[in-house]
Amino acid sequence: MFDVIIIGSGISGACIARECAKYQMNTLVLEKNIDVASETTLANSAIIHAGHDPLVGSLKAKFNIIGSRMYEQMSKELDIPYLKNGGMVVATNEEEIDHIKMLYDRGLANGLKKDEIALMEQAKVRQLEPNISDDVLMALYLPTTAITYPMEAAIANLENAMDNGVQLQTDAEVIDIKKNENYFEVYTSDKVYKTKYIINAAGLYAEKISDMVVPNYFKITPRRGEYLVLDKDVHVVSHVIYPVPSKKGKGILATPQYHGNLLLGPTSEFVQFDEMKQTSSKGLNDIKNNIKKSVKNIPFNKVIRTFAGSRPTPSTKDFIIEETMVKGFINVAGIESPGLSAAPAYAEYVVEELLVKNGDFKPNTSFNPIRKRVNRMNELSIDEKNILFKKNHTYGEIICRCEQVTKGEIIDSITRNAGAKTVVGVKHRTRAGAGRCQSGFCQVEVSKILAEYMHIPLENVLYQGKHSNIVKEKTKGETNERI
Amino acid sequence: MREYEAIVIGGGSAGLAASVALHNEGVTDILLLERDQELGGILNQCIHNGFGLKVFKEELTGPEYAERYKDIFVEKNIPYKTNTMVISCDKNRIVEYANKDEGFVKIKGKAIIMTTGCYERNAGAIQLPGDRPSGIITAGTAQKYLNMDGYLVGKKVFILGSGDIGLIMARRMTLEGAEVLGVAEIMPYSGGLNRNIVQCLDDYNIPLYLNHTITSIKGKDHIEQIVLQEVKDFIPIKGTEKTFDVDTLLLSIGLIPEQSLAEKAGIILHSKTKGPMVDESYQTNIDGIFACGNALHVHDLVDFVSTESERAGKAAAQYIKRSDKNVGLSVNTIANKGISYIVPQTIHPKSIEQNLELFLRVDGVYQDMDLVIKSGEKEIKRYKKRHLAPAEMERIIIPKQWLVDINHDLEISLEAMK
Repeated sequence: MFDVIIIGSGISGACIARECAKYQMNTLVLEKNIDVASETTLANSAIIHAGHDPLVGSLKAKFNIIGSRMYEQMSKELDIPYLKNGGMVVATNEEEIDHIKMLYDRGLANGLKKDEIALMEQAKVRQLEPNISDDVLMALYLPTTAITYPMEAAIANLENAMDNGVQLQTDAEVIDIKKNENYFEVYTSDKVYKTKYIINAAGLYAEKISDMVVPNYFKITPRRGEYLVLDKDVHVVSHVIYPVPSKKGKGILATPQYHGNLLLGPTSEFVQFDEMKQTSSKGLNDIKNNIKKSVKNIPFNKVIRTFAGSRPTPSTKDFIIEETMVKGFINVAGIESPGLSAAPAYAEYVVEELLVKNGDFKPNTSFNPIRKRVNRMNELSIDEKNILFKKNHTYGEIICRCEQVTKGEIIDSITRNAGAKTVVGVKHRTRAGAGRCQSGFCQVEVSKILAEYMHIPLENVLYQGKHSNIVKEKTKGETNERI
Repeated sequence: MREYEAIVIGGGSAGLAASVALHNEGVTDILLLERDQELGGILNQCIHNGFGLKVFKEELTGPEYAERYKDIFVEKNIPYKTNTMVISCDKNRIVEYANKDEGFVKIKGKAIIMTTGCYERNAGAIQLPGDRPSGIITAGTAQKYLNMDGYLVGKKVFILGSGDIGLIMARRMTLEGAEVLGVAEIMPYSGGLNRNIVQCLDDYNIPLYLNHTITSIKGKDHIEQIVLQEVKDFIPIKGTEKTFDVDTLLLSIGLIPEQSLAEKAGIILHSKTKGPMVDESYQTNIDGIFACGNALHVHDLVDFVSTESERAGKAAAQYIKRSDKNVGLSVNTIANKGISYIVPQTIHPKSIEQNLELFLRVDGVYQDMDLVIKSGEKEIKRYKKRHLAPAEMERIIIPKQWLVDINHDLEISLEAMK
């Protein structure tokens, strides 16, 4: 019997898992995909918003403000990329200036301090961002806006949770839940788990999970966002540049990424579930046309990648974070923007207020909050690299040329808790294959390392999804049997 | 820090030829660094024939061609390291490399020759719309899986782009039992050599769809379907959609010189070739750093990689031995009407040894044209050309005596045949 089963391993499930690990709770995380954090957490703008945008009094506002203030500490404990580069909402006409003035008031009402939000005149904006569009007249300046790497944030929380006793089962889609007298039965395709509490952090699929216990509680509609990624040598802006938001969302942003690339997007479009990850010519063109309103001199010929992700937009228009009428079944749903920013705050709320206050959970006195990420050799000095190399010679073997990732880093990413199981999983943990050649050179080598350390034949190595085998069959010699 | 006379980065066809040339000129304190486990570069996976017709006057496979140069290289006892990745090179010619025996090491070269080859353009760069499942793979990566490791990536294949590797792989995968449904090319002409169209597509009844591109990818985990569409001026024409069920989409949409090292060293790259700007000695704007082969501009024949790299190696040897670095007046080469690019981009007429080797590509398909070389008002040479195409690189050798007294830029253009 588990105390808590968390369904979903995105940023919500991951942060909640780590909070659970701080108590003597027997906790299991179930994830339907091969790798953790493979849906909304994987494909978004990677911004820790200051908290200027959500409506006053909403859960979004409350948890955004608290959550964004927790990130700095969390990033230190878990070794998560975090850079407080600041943000600007830029206005290009009188109407938009009125709007950013309204956002200024809203930000203060939400709890931002006077030194965390300011209206900035054109000249100062230009001075800070020379490539800001000539049409920009004024900006709302948000110095506490930060960027992170959401996938790493989720992985780090899960890994630290597992280091402290939480269990994880991937490739485990929940297909049914049965409520008994004082526990639940959670069914996956091949197992049944018993648990006292369920936390539904299933993101885009939260409606489906909730319907298994409390039908028709809310609706989730995927709202797709497409993005363009520019090469690392593009230095156009240093702040997160937001346009004035519209009814459809925060608009097309220019966001410098932690690893140096420039991200443009997202679009905003309600789509069917099978279209959630599709890019479109129209969407990509919309990005190029709309971003020009805020930023100039963008070299669109430096695009190295496009992608799309979807937000789980709830019918309630606010986060749904509550214990339902079915005792022990807790929804953490409708987590669209600013979910990434808010996650540490609502994770703490869920565990402290909804679990610990109701259950009899003692603190885990041996909880260790520290997790170190996979080494990044290319961020070290030559002496530091050689210290690592002397301990382990695989740190001298460069596998990914573009991002200079060594075999040692790749092995570490596969063999640690919540480790990589796919080529894309290795990329997300080490950046092998994330550079300009987009794995053209290293994919074969990464596949071989996965095969070796997962003890599987090369034919069974997956790219990302469950049926995403990279090679079809062996052409010479004995063919390995498929699992 | 160990200092070498010459460091050669990359042990493919360019690096081997450049090293041998250095050695022939008396420079023996060389170190060649190769990231793969053996010398030969991309030739090792090019197991088809068609190599060596210009240099050896016989038809060899890629590995055979590589072997000829490897033999000479090894016979001369030129020092080299395999399984060794160069991770940086700066303007002071300090190179950092890494391997599993020595870790991370810095060395310095009097001269450096960049022979780092090229990489394949990928789906991200062309913003292919639709899902992003597995099964979309560059032709060269599929070639590596097949020819080096013995794995077929799929059995129902479509190919986007008519670059030579894609054409070669159409035949190769057919021979391994895959069904190749077609090749789509967005341009009105092929991106590959004519002989490859004939020998790799026509001979196997594989259709080539010119003026077509892929406008949608479908597949949840693995690719399941593609939509092919005809284009006019690069815009898809409504109503021309054709759907194909596939398990693999190979991309053969272009090669780009691998220059991430060069960029960090401050080497200026050319907008068309994407490789460094060089002079007739293949020297870049950074003193003592040379570039040749596919790292300089993408070649369609390895034979020209070898001859170009021999020249670069020889020039680097002269640079190393020469105390007087004054190379005299420089003029630019200018790609005028009909010409896409010219390598080298600058020349020093006084420093040309015996003759000047120019490589160029045209910007479209042309019949019966004059290729005209001028300097100021003076016409230097006019060549009759029956057929010109962007996929087929032109090589021109100009004797030194034609150039000694020029003091204007060297302009090349296409004119109607006189």
